[in-house]
Amino acid sequence: MKAIFAIASTTVGEAIRRKVLLIILLIGVLFIVVAPGLGILSARSETTVLKSFMLGVTQGVSAIIAVILTVYMIPNEIERRTIYTILSKPVQRWQFLVGKYLGAVMSLLLMMAMMSAVMALMFFLQQQSKNAAEIAELLKGPMMYFVQMSLLAAVAIFFSTFVAPLVNFFLTVGVFLVGVFFNPLFQSLQDNQNTATLVKKAAWAVNTFLPNFANYNVQNPLINQNSAIQNEGRYYLGITVYGVVYICILLILGILIFDRREV
Amino acid sequence: MAAAIETKQLTKSYKARQAGTINVVDHLDLHVEEGEIFGFLGPNGAGKTTTIKMLLGIIYPTSGEGFVLGKEIGDMDVHRLISYLPERPYYYEHMTGLELLKFYGSLFGITDKAKFIALLEKVNLHRDMTKTISQYSKGMQQRVGLAQSLLNDPKLLFLDEPTGGLDPIAHREIRDLILSFRDEGRTVFISSHELSEVELICDRVAIINKGVIARQGKLTELLKGGRIEITAEGVPESLLKNLNLPDSNLRVLASGLMLDMPEENDPNGVIDAIRSQKGRVISVVPRRKRLEDLFVETVTVKGGKS
Ligand SMILES: Nc1ncnc2c1ncn2[C@@H]1O[C@H](COP(=O)(O)OP(=O)(O)O)[C@@H](O)[C@H]1O
Ligand SMILES: [Mg+2]
Repeated sequence: MKAIFAIASTTVGEAIRRKVLLIILLIGVLFIVVAPGLGILSARSETTVLKSFMLGVTQGVSAIIAVILTVYMIPNEIERRTIYTILSKPVQRWQFLVGKYLGAVMSLLLMMAMMSAVMALMFFLQQQSKNAAEIAELLKGPMMYFVQMSLLAAVAIFFSTFVAPLVNFFLTVGVFLVGVFFNPLFQSLQDNQNTATLVKKAAWAVNTFLPNFANYNVQNPLINQNSAIQNEGRYYLGITVYGVVYICILLILGILIFDRREV
Repeated sequence: MAAAIETKQLTKSYKARQAGTINVVDHLDLHVEEGEIFGFLGPNGAGKTTTIKMLLGIIYPTSGEGFVLGKEIGDMDVHRLISYLPERPYYYEHMTGLELLKFYGSLFGITDKAKFIALLEKVNLHRDMTKTISQYSKGMQQRVGLAQSLLNDPKLLFLDEPTGGLDPIAHREIRDLILSFRDEGRTVFISSHELSEVELICDRVAIINKGVIARQGKLTELLKGGRIEITAEGVPESLLKNLNLPDSNLRVLASGLMLDMPEENDPNGVIDAIRSQKGRVISVVPRRKRLEDLFVETVTVKGGKS
């Protein structure tokens, strides 16, 4: 346990010093800071547009950070031979992989918390609102995105146990985009009576085996009162449990592959 | 004495670029005794790092077996008793020397700060322990590497090319540290292609070329077969010829005669003969065989690339 934690916190120490990640984070923060001043905001739907813009930036930037952070994580350890020093100590490979993953998640938490704090502050300043409930409501978005990004990180770490970083990059981004944009489409294909059986089966397979990233896109219900989620708490709990279970499965599969692999 | 490392027909093959497979390590029989400094020598690409990685359980043998401290390779318990310094190592650059030891210590569950400082003192880095690794010179990085390799008080250390790419002063510091490990009763397994280093500190060596062990044994025995040159003046050529020394050459120089003979011959007999004829011995120069000669001999005879 101590070893896992040491590996995780070292990973955080490295991640928060990676210039690429810091620059992306900075760009994200900048976007959020200037958002209230953007002229594109029409007076009437100002708040709605502002909210969705801020949430969109937070999600997009977090996804980019999550992928860049994790795709090179294991290959870098091998290339720099730091992994050998670690594995020659009484550290099992699963401990190494779990430590690396937890480090990635902790780094994401740190960076996303920072972005969310800036978002909350800017929203507060722009609205001049003392309405804490509205800000808290808005922050539910990043919380669900955090689960989403943790799942995305697990996908990348899983792939990194057997494919090269560049391939991993496209695979992970692909799985994410399919999950975010096409999952609803596949869902409707699956549910539609008129769909051909074969297509239905394929849609079912995609929906079942690929992680459903669309679950976590909670911006619409958060912004539009009309489309609010029924039984919100249960929904959030449900998708969090789904995420954790999926992450565990990915990590176990990753460990099984990594254990047999030559490093 | 018990064996610290023992391999039997240890083999690792990879798919060759063209077709089939190539044995990068080829039926290796190694025997390293406890308490010795063992030199594992070979040109680049000979299979040294591959062998070490197999012994550490980082990669898996294709066939054959290996034992480290009596346990089959891959046994995690052994990892408490050994340590490894990889070739051209890299350490997390954002850490200070002290943080680095803390990190590696925590992998053993060691949290004793006094121990970390004592180790940094041993490698003479205690004054730089709050500097980050990125500020360390190569030699300092290698020394902090040795400090971390001592964290668990190992019985056996694997050092892969520990002096590679270092300047002579750093070489010397590392060499002295390695010698101190032996004095502390540790077994040290060093891979190297820098022979002058190894020659100074190793008890026994194995020379590996293209995955095959060409020679293995005590350094003193492997280096037998040197020659001695005796130069003298004021004696007739016939005197030295009549001594009938096997495998010897006699040359006439401006300054006198030079006899070149195997070191097994007793030089005293020759000197006595010269002096009995009122001749004068100018010099007796042992031309010891050096590891480099042995190495070149071994590697070129077997048709190795270097
Ligand atoms: N993963 C691998 N796949 C294919 N060939 C490899 C692999 N690792 C090492 N080799 C080859 O094995 C040979 C021995 O390498 P190595 O053990 O690193 O040599 P040394 O440490 O003695 O310089 C080299 O020719 C190298 O190219
Ligand atoms: Mg090597």
